[in-house]
Amino acid sequence: MILDCLGKRCPLPVIELAKALADKPIGFKVTLLSDDPASAPDLVAWARMTGNSAETGEQNTFQITKLTN
Amino acid sequence: MVSITPNFQSEPRLHEAARIALPHIFEAAWPDPAKLGIDSKSAALLLNEARETFSSHLGVRSDEINFLGEPNLGFHLGLSGLMSAQKRLVYSNVDRMEIFAVSENHSSEMLSVSKTGQTDFSGLTASDVVSLQLCNRETGIIQSGRPENVSGLFIDATASGTRIKLPENWSTALWDSSTWAGPSGIGIFAVSKNANWKNPLPHLDGRINPGPTSLPLIVASALAIDSWVADEKNLAAKIAAINGDIRKYISSNIPDSDIAPGGADHLISASFLYVNAEQLVTALADKGYSVDSGSACSAANMQPSHVLAALGVLTQGNIRLTIHHATTFEDVKTFLEILSQTISECRG
Repeated sequence: MILDCLGKRCPLPVIELAKALADKPIGFKVTLLSDDPASAPDLVAWARMTGNSAETGEQNTFQITKLTN
Repeated sequence: MVSITPNFQSEPRLHEAARIALPHIFEAAWPDPAKLGIDSKSAALLLNEARETFSSHLGVRSDEINFLGEPNLGFHLGLSGLMSAQKRLVYSNVDRMEIFAVSENHSSEMLSVSKTGQTDFSGLTASDVVSLQLCNRETGIIQSGRPENVSGLFIDATASGTRIKLPENWSTALWDSSTWAGPSGIGIFAVSKNANWKNPLPHLDGRINPGPTSLPLIVASALAIDSWVADEKNLAAKIAAINGDIRKYISSNIPDSDIAPGGADHLISASFLYVNAEQLVTALADKGYSVDSGSACSAANMQPSHVLAALGVLTQGNIRLTIHHATTFEDVKTFLEILSQTISECRG
């Protein structure tokens, strides 16, 4: 799944990501697109706080894996 | 109706001792203390007394003290004055942005802090000029490392004030009058007699800054530091207890919160997932509480706090609280309930 959050400012990308993952099974992967300067630190912090995985990829892309419900 | 709203922003109200004396100080401190007239002599006495006061509280010689009308100019004076073409400026990624700006003019290296905000100074050489932040003004993190055998050591004491002693081998140091509830817009800049320091600004004779710096505000700041240090002795335990209460409340009552590592008792930085900081800060202000924020949406440049990012702490939904001498347990208890409720509202 690709979640396009380009042009959206913090905290919207993280909120939309959490909503998108809410009804998905464990192991579900999302490619999140975001050009907000807060997304790089905040997606990593979100993953740490919620027990999921976030990796910073090529420019403005983040690979997210759902690891907990 | 006069409302006294609890203030958790970093700026303190001017200390009462200075506020009451201010009109009298302006009456007495108007002449130029460098001139020979009788009024100037009285002004020179006031300036000398102020120097002695700062000397005793800050742990530097009175003839090492200089006053700055623009405190942040001290970052350039303190660092660039120790540099030369052969030297390397070493600073950390939680240092003040003013230091990042100074580093652009020199050969430099930025060190990354650990998850707890500590800088590893073990790789330094004798040709390094090092910036040491005693206390981080956003989080309260206190640096435990002390650079040794370096060419020059600049001490950023703008957040620690009188709380943390200078290391023995300091070269230059900067304090901000507002940390002891003195007037804003006054910096104390010291150059050690042992430092190899050259004025990086265009200057006349031995002057360090273009000046003149307001003598009345210097005298007011000296009154404030005397009173503030006396108050601190009685109030430090209360501030530590309030800090503990706030951390405990947030971590046990507000879900999805991320408290930054800290150290100094008067500072706390906490972030809340799925919260827009601008909305949170505005809603708290509407309810009578002033707080600071390090989130991008509340910053003039729309960038998240470089300190939070360096620490790996969540940058969205961030608030920074400064606990002042006047802060009460009752203020904090009510504030925390309102904070919790407002965060729920922001999360919808």
